[in-house]
Amino acid sequence: MGSGRKQLSRQHLAELERIVGKKGVRTDATARAAYESDAFMLQRANAEVIVLPRTTEEAAAAIKVVRDAGLVVVPRGAGTGLSGGARPVENGAIVGTARMRGVLEVNAEDRYARVQAGVVNVHLTAACADVGLFYGPDPSSQTACTIGGNVGNNSGGPHGFKYGSTNRHVLGLTMVDSEGEVIELGGPGATGDGGLDLLGPVIGSEGMLGLVTEVTVQLLPRPEKVETLLCLFESLDDCCDAVSEMIARRLEPSAIEILDRLTIEAVEASVLRAGYPDNAEAVMLVEVEGGDEEVDATSADVIEVAREFGAFDTRRTTDPVERKRLWAGRKGAFGAMGRIAPDLYVADVVAPRTRLREIVTAATVACRERDLKLANVFHAGDGNLHPNISYDRRDADEVRRVLEAGRIIMEACVEAGGSLTGEHGIGLEKQDEMCLVFSDDDLAAMDQLRGAFDPDAFWNPGKMLPVRGCREIHTRPLPTHAQPAEDAS
Amino acid sequence: MSRETLVDHARALDCIHCGLCLTTCPTYQLTGLETSSPRGRIHLMRAVAEGRAEPDATFEDEMNFCLVCRHCESVCPAGVEFGAMMEFSRGALLERRPPGLLARLARWVGFRGILVRRAGLRLAAVGLRAVQLLRLDALVSPLLGLRGQIIRHMPRVPSARERRPLPPVTPAEGPPRGTVLVLDGCVMPELFGRVNRAMTDVLAATGREVRSVPKHVCCGALHAHNGELDQAEELARKTISQFNEVDGSAPVVIDSAGCGAHMKEYGRLLANDPEWRERASSFAARVVDLTEELASPEAIPRLRERLADGHGIQGPVTWDDPCHLCHGQGVREQPRQLLDLVPGLERVEMSGADSCCGSAGIYTVLRPEDSLDVLDPKLESLEQTGAKTLVTANPGCHQQWEIGVGKSGKGVEILHLAEVLERALRPR
Repeated sequence: MGSGRKQLSRQHLAELERIVGKKGVRTDATARAAYESDAFMLQRANAEVIVLPRTTEEAAAAIKVVRDAGLVVVPRGAGTGLSGGARPVENGAIVGTARMRGVLEVNAEDRYARVQAGVVNVHLTAACADVGLFYGPDPSSQTACTIGGNVGNNSGGPHGFKYGSTNRHVLGLTMVDSEGEVIELGGPGATGDGGLDLLGPVIGSEGMLGLVTEVTVQLLPRPEKVETLLCLFESLDDCCDAVSEMIARRLEPSAIEILDRLTIEAVEASVLRAGYPDNAEAVMLVEVEGGDEEVDATSADVIEVAREFGAFDTRRTTDPVERKRLWAGRKGAFGAMGRIAPDLYVADVVAPRTRLREIVTAATVACRERDLKLANVFHAGDGNLHPNISYDRRDADEVRRVLEAGRIIMEACVEAGGSLTGEHGIGLEKQDEMCLVFSDDDLAAMDQLRGAFDPDAFWNPGKMLPVRGCREIHTRPLPTHAQPAEDAS
Repeated sequence: MSRETLVDHARALDCIHCGLCLTTCPTYQLTGLETSSPRGRIHLMRAVAEGRAEPDATFEDEMNFCLVCRHCESVCPAGVEFGAMMEFSRGALLERRPPGLLARLARWVGFRGILVRRAGLRLAAVGLRAVQLLRLDALVSPLLGLRGQIIRHMPRVPSARERRPLPPVTPAEGPPRGTVLVLDGCVMPELFGRVNRAMTDVLAATGREVRSVPKHVCCGALHAHNGELDQAEELARKTISQFNEVDGSAPVVIDSAGCGAHMKEYGRLLANDPEWRERASSFAARVVDLTEELASPEAIPRLRERLADGHGIQGPVTWDDPCHLCHGQGVREQPRQLLDLVPGLERVEMSGADSCCGSAGIYTVLRPEDSLDVLDPKLESLEQTGAKTLVTANPGCHQQWEIGVGKSGKGVEILHLAEVLERALRPR
């Protein structure tokens, strides 16, 4: 065993095995190596133990043991997160929900479902397809990511444009608190019980307030008609401007996505080839939902704007098989970048939708100056940009340049009035950049809220909130919608 | 052996750690553990190569736990060649840490004594048949735990008449459409000779002259999957020469998905052999699965003309995709299309038809418990379909389903697609 490793005592280990079964506890070097990161590959750490409970009760009992053993806990879903939120804390425990995969209840009449936190996002939608309902948030990793992970990161997805992020869909949560007690927040019928809304702070808390073990979500009726449109552009700038115009004209499709040429090439070379044309510099993928007439009218408006802004071709389809293919290509775009280089930095920033072109240009310039390969694929409809920078983590200088470019992109967004993250969370990746948006006072207030749930920094310590003060990070908070820091110099 | 050569490091770099493979993986479904997911296994291979993890017993166990069903390849946006990586790792691990004497002996007998020699295979079949006839299997099975259960429900070895080899030439019926070569195979003639004959008859009915390759025994797929790469290469060379001796240009039609998937990759297997590279690639390009051949625009009308009701097959039927057909060869539509051609046969879809049944070559023998755990959810899905007949196209899957259906006491008949078509060609 490695030196300086905090050993879990034999009794604690036996106790964990008794609670979750032998197959649910791993402390060996192989397992620790497999869990050393989530999908954010730049930082790794070794956990002391990996625990996979099967029920809320097992989770609660296991948490008590872990706490008693003096370890901290990093909650983990499927480990598809892109900002390091589920990276282990050195010598801490990973408590994962991968074996909590039960859909506990689908209530078609009251239109809600109650699931264990480890249920995979698409499996929830599949489980309620029979009764004509679906779950709204559809992150690109939805074939793998879990509902619990979605709660932790307040995930969105392409259709977040119409349906909003996870926080608009969660009705209730069951979680294990830092004492190992089970607490219930909200519930299926909840329109709020009065008092403070405690769901709010938990959704998007990146596992810092407790372990969410069960989630009650609202379900939506499947729209009567869904049409998917492809608009092809000769320039990415024009494509961005067309989106800005669609927003300005108050068009309401359910999703507006943009893919640039490099992304299209990577997708088309993969098993997910979607039939995106190879003669476009940028493709706009739009989905329109609703009644027959509504869909026809909106689609016509979308195409009109696209043409005005130089779209040289537009295609539309309502065929479910073809639509599925078009979306699978979009959703696999991140993975498809593996064809370009071994690693990918997926930035996740939000810009005001009137300034998409400007931010895309800033990203392009930042990468060109640093000799980096940039691909753009993003949720244009809600201004959530994902500049994807390909790199190889074995090249230290390239890693430095990538992080530098990432920071410039974040700064540009914040300066334009946007934000640091659309859906991937802050995690480890953007901790320091929190100071671009928040003052020391803001951050202290957040820390106080966190302390109300978790006074001993037991849950996912060292994530999201900067470890060092902003003054130490030497960042001048930029004037934003947040209060500017009084002591900004 | 150095760490770099222990894994296929270059291929490991294709993985970008997105995790889209996780839910497709049967072993991840069982354990929920990253270590038994494709992404986790690739990560571990890379960690070993880069010196951050040890290729210890746990590592080796995770590599062997994998079924190499290649479902992950079907969803991998980065196109990671997982199957090839796994074969490489297993081969290297075997060289680095040879198994114990007994296991080595078993491997030698299995891979070199039986699989590659017709005489060895016949002897094994005769022996197994004797055991089954004398009910010795029922006698010893309680002593063998899970393996015993498997042995008890294994399909019966048919009579010697059933096990006769294919005739060297079967003439075409109707207007001829040229010659095809078929693979008799290693285990197929001993356990599923009737399937091989059904394949031959159906091909002939579509106007193909069918030639077998009597000298040939084994394509080497099982060797490759289990890390015996040198032997696999040798068998690939042999296969190519023996087939080319009979006919150097005819399509090579395979009714066993595992063999077909492997033979289509001879080019990759022999890529480092300058003498054979070209020949291997052009041979691989001639390999087609039986369902691809039969669903061709030339064959379909001939089948449609002749297939008739009165085949006696109990409906509804359901198609279970062999992993090495759908994930290994990308063949999904053709078998369904062919089943739909059969008059009077209702077909229902089974959920998770494209996930592994746990057969995975000799996995059932090597890891009986895991194999049956992987099969369990499939049995549930089968029950939900209400199907009376399950159709497949691979001997391993065929056998696994027989074991599963036998164990659960359900009256579902398991047939190879060739048998279904053959029965519908010659209604009683």
